Amino acid sequence: MSSTILEYAILIPLLPMMAFPVILFLGKMFNGTPGWVGKMKEGGFIALPVMGASLILSIWLIIDSLHGTSGTTLFTWFESSWWDPATGAITTKVFNVGIHIDHLTIMLLFVASFLCFLINVFSIGYMNTDPLNDNRNHRFYAEFILFCSGMLGMVLADSFLWLFIFWELMGLCSYLLIGFYYERPSAAYAAKKAFLTTRVGDVFLIIGLVMLWNLFNGHLEYAYVFNANNIAAVDAGSLQLALGMMFIGAVGKSAQFPLHVWLPDAMEGPTPVSALIHAATMVNAGLYLVARMFPFFAATPVGSMSTLAIIIAFIGGITAVMAALIAFVQMDIKKVLAYSTMSQLAYIFTGLGAAMWLANNGHMEAATIALGAALFHLFNHAMAKGMLFMASGSVIHEMHHAHHEAHHHDHGDEDDDFDAQSMENMGGLASRMPITATAMFFGSMSIIGIPFIGGFWSKEGIIAKTWEVAFLEPAFFIPALFVLCGAGMTGFYMSRMWLMTFAGKPKTEVAANVQEQTAWIPIPLVALTFMTLTAFIWAGLEVTGWLGNYDGGHFIGFFEGIWLELKHIFLNHDISLLLLTYVAIGLSMVLGPLYAMKLYGGRLDDGQVAKPWMNWLINLSGRINEKSEFDNSAWANSSLTKSLHKRLHFDDVYDAAVLKIVVGFANLAALFDTKIIDGAIKGIESTSQDASTKVRSLTTGSARDYIMMAALGTLLIFGLLWGVA
Amino acid sequence: MSSTANMELKSKEFALVGFLAIAVAVLAALFPNLGANADGNVDWISIPLVGFPIIAGVILLAFASQESRATQKKIAAPIRLASLCFSLIPLGISTALFFDWLIAVDWAILGYNEYVLDSQYLWMESIGVSWHVGMDGLSFPMVWLTTFLVPITMIMTWDEKDGATYHPILLLMGGALIGVFVALDLFMFYIFWELTLIPMFFLILKWGGSDRRYAAQKFFIYTFTASLVMLLGLITLYFLQPEGNGPFHGTITGRTFDMTTLFANAAAYNLGDNVFLGLEMQKILFVLLMIGFLVKLPAVPFHTWLPDAHVQAPTGGSMILAGVMLKMGAYGIMRIPIAIFPDALVYYQDVIMAIGLISLVWGSVVCLGQTNLKKMIAYSSVSHMGVILLGIASMQPLGYAAALFMMFAHGIISPMLFAVCGAFKHHYHSMEIGDMRGMAKWSPFLSVYMMFAWMASLGLPLLAGFVAELMILLAYWPIYGWWILLPGAVLAITAGYFLWSMQRTIFEGGDEGQPPASLNGETPPDITMPENIGMIILAVFTVIFGIFPFIALGMMDDWTVALFEGVFNKGGI
Repeated sequence: MSSTILEYAILIPLLPMMAFPVILFLGKMFNGTPGWVGKMKEGGFIALPVMGASLILSIWLIIDSLHGTSGTTLFTWFESSWWDPATGAITTKVFNVGIHIDHLTIMLLFVASFLCFLINVFSIGYMNTDPLNDNRNHRFYAEFILFCSGMLGMVLADSFLWLFIFWELMGLCSYLLIGFYYERPSAAYAAKKAFLTTRVGDVFLIIGLVMLWNLFNGHLEYAYVFNANNIAAVDAGSLQLALGMMFIGAVGKSAQFPLHVWLPDAMEGPTPVSALIHAATMVNAGLYLVARMFPFFAATPVGSMSTLAIIIAFIGGITAVMAALIAFVQMDIKKVLAYSTMSQLAYIFTGLGAAMWLANNGHMEAATIALGAALFHLFNHAMAKGMLFMASGSVIHEMHHAHHEAHHHDHGDEDDDFDAQSMENMGGLASRMPITATAMFFGSMSIIGIPFIGGFWSKEGIIAKTWEVAFLEPAFFIPALFVLCGAGMTGFYMSRMWLMTFAGKPKTEVAANVQEQTAWIPIPLVALTFMTLTAFIWAGLEVTGWLGNYDGGHFIGFFEGIWLELKHIFLNHDISLLLLTYVAIGLSMVLGPLYAMKLYGGRLDDGQVAKPWMNWLINLSGRINEKSEFDNSAWANSSLTKSLHKRLHFDDVYDAAVLKIVVGFANLAALFDTKIIDGAIKGIESTSQDASTKVRSLTTGSARDYIMMAALGTLLIFGLLWGVA
Repeated sequence: MSSTANMELKSKEFALVGFLAIAVAVLAALFPNLGANADGNVDWISIPLVGFPIIAGVILLAFASQESRATQKKIAAPIRLASLCFSLIPLGISTALFFDWLIAVDWAILGYNEYVLDSQYLWMESIGVSWHVGMDGLSFPMVWLTTFLVPITMIMTWDEKDGATYHPILLLMGGALIGVFVALDLFMFYIFWELTLIPMFFLILKWGGSDRRYAAQKFFIYTFTASLVMLLGLITLYFLQPEGNGPFHGTITGRTFDMTTLFANAAAYNLGDNVFLGLEMQKILFVLLMIGFLVKLPAVPFHTWLPDAHVQAPTGGSMILAGVMLKMGAYGIMRIPIAIFPDALVYYQDVIMAIGLISLVWGSVVCLGQTNLKKMIAYSSVSHMGVILLGIASMQPLGYAAALFMMFAHGIISPMLFAVCGAFKHHYHSMEIGDMRGMAKWSPFLSVYMMFAWMASLGLPLLAGFVAELMILLAYWPIYGWWILLPGAVLAITAGYFLWSMQRTIFEGGDEGQPPASLNGETPPDITMPENIGMIILAVFTVIFGIFPFIALGMMDDWTVALFEGVFNKGGI
């Protein structure tokens, strides 16, 4: 372990952070000039090398620290003192800035820097060819790069405090990026909603941090709080409470039930932003936070923190099914992906919950594998979802383009009703956009969990481990059942999305004229398709075992690793788990897709041929679609479907609560403040004024009145004197 | 005058100021010992920081007010230039003090009741009044903040009407405020405390909005009445103190107004279970003093003068009012009652916490119900000042340092908030949130500053306000437990009203935006160069103190440690 790279590691988040003002300033200076637009791509070519440098540094750091844990303290942020009233002793509390590196850091560092770099490449194709973004792309790249800096910083931070700081930085950037088209009321609303919803979670997170800080005598550094001796000195009940509060923060950030409402609206941002938020950075932050808590569960007394593990798994299970259900009826291609993100993150939460339960109940080996599976799913999901979002961006972009071409005569009237994101306007794009279709094909398969591709390796692990816990702890049956059902539902909605977009005949004239022609966009798609297809390499490298194991970890032979994984999945010694595996595969690979084919499949236009690896599926779907006469109108008109269209009414209820109760109360309070509190002051003012007016009226100027008063006064004095005497 | 000519004039003016500042710096470097007294120490406070701005302000005012209105217009440019130059001198001195260029200061070795540049001159010997100044970790950040804000305010409101009298008043205001922070004599403290009212009263009365008369009177009478209650407390304290101690044996009354002597007496008496003046008397005096300070802070329910004063005050007045003047209340609490009446403080600890919590929650909830931008910001100040009381009630050095840092951070952020409001009023003639939409299209710079200031105020990490909020929560939880949910809720509510007001002013509005009707169809202008300069400086310092809080927190921490050693540990038990 060389210490040199650790000293440079700070540059990984620092470089993008320093590029932020540079891009903003240069963009403001040179906005609209040919050199800035053409040569610098409005800042894209400043951001790209910076992200490249971060990526290279990250990879260097990763290679350097594959084994074991390391870290360094950079400088003291500030110091403050603590007074013990009983003894009068004053101790110093130090808040440091530092870097911490272990397996979890390495994995997320790679995911974040790699995806941020690819999304940057994609943005140059996507953002800079849309006239809508002219003269404001510098803002995009500046905010984008600050966002990346936030994620990289959060991953590298050596304490929960700095995790929170970068976490909030990401919150700010998501606000800015979701509201990129700030003049649209829907975007401004979505940005505010995202910030406020996550802020509610953040409030609990910071309270949790405060509790943790207090429990651990003024320490939030991982090196201190994860020390088994220090954990042993802490009351497990209080610790569970603190971690529970922090978990609410993760729920907000990762858009889990019941704080999930911001994520679908966040699609108002440009598509690269969606890819950034849903794949590379923001939503992973919540998972990262929860995964960070794992050592607490391993070091506390057996069973003392099971409740929190069960809660985590429950939230995951509920969200997995709920999001998948809502995804059934979405027509907007990005919204389907948004709900799919929620659902897949819920899988990871369930896996983490299972891992924590196992760790807390002494099944360390199983816990390690469950944790590894959950984190590996994070990796696979990030790669696949990043690709899916960029592919959807590619579709939307080319649809826009084709729409413009078709209507270039009435250029002035751009605000017509055509929705380039609606899948009802697409169809049959497989032959016209081969690279995009391929990318989405494999990306969807990875999310569904088709054997041997991407997410399969990890998702089976999560389901199996959740069920394993369910056999030990009955409370886990519900999340276990939910994730199993969710597998089949994923198969349905992902297939539906792909078929509606790429199979069948073009549903609009625009879709019939789409071409894949924008430079830069295919690069990340190809790179990520490669990553998805080669997930077996990571599986073969025993990455699950390695990820779950914080200290050390071992590499076995490559083929031996794959064999181990496969044996674990298909030849499980436990017959019930083995059965379960086949059920899960059957649900996700057969039942879900077949059902989708029945409803949404179809052959391409005559003369159009897709690439061979997709053509068979399209033809199959066409055959199934034609053969089966299936009436789903009863289901489509059911009240459940209607409420699914309304996102199960969560948004309505929250909006009503905020508008009616909170704002109503605030207006009352404002009224009370001016009328009653200030009214009392005004009352004193007016009373004293009235009194002085009355007293003044005694000054009549008439001698008769004065003599009268003098006489009365004299009588009064005499009377008083007499009374006293 | 055309705008380009005006622009050129401004550039020349600023260039001249810069040149003079360099000249003064060179002179100071050449003659470092100018004005040293007998023992070779220079009193950098009395004349340079306090006397000079006040005297210069008064002379400029007297000079300008003799002239006719037409002449006043003509001489406005040189006078504002002179005021800015004069205000830069205290800034230079306080900055030089921070960097140890004038004297070597080690804040860490400064014990309880020890001060830097402690200078005492006899004033009214017979009743024990002296001119006594000095600075410690409590007052220095406030002094620097004042010296920093006065020139910024001048630059940002460079074009204010009647500049010939406006800028000297700001100069005078700065001197009076510094006087409050450096005073180590109760008599002197009270004089400066009341002196600050006068320039602010005239700022509101002369440069305020349509209802300025009422607001100025309310501001003056409200806070003046509270100050009288405080004065009652101070006088009572003066007469109750033990006689014959300290350096004023020869006085007629045998008593002293000197704070350091009083602090030392109180600390010497408070050993063990002894209570200086007795707990009952401490309680009475504590309440009397606190009324004066809480009204100034202001705490709910004594806060209603603030929204009125802010809404009517000119931008410059609001910036100084929110930036420094409110902190006088918090400073007063930290300086006098805590040091002299620690037992009363412990007795009223929960009451202070309750008042702080009520201010915090009530202020933020009322913010949500406001439609006037400036009124909203005024209530948010009430809310933030509540945080300071929470820090004091926590009875931890951490909480006290947090309160100090909150005073400091809010002192940088809130002027920016009010400057943004002022820009809205100045350029759009409207501060009603519902009047406009999508102003980011027209005023990108103003929108960026607005977003920055709003985010800083809602406690975004890496900006100055966050550190204080975090520390308050850390100090709060161990002692008050689940009550922490209320400050937590306020964090969310604060984000709510700030984001809501941004959404409805600078965002939305479609491709062309919806400028306010008060512009009568004119193109909405972006902000001017002086405003830009001021905003950028404030923003840069918000970031600096957010990323490197130890710059200011170091001395604050040292001060709180000394305070707890000296006051609450009762002589080291």
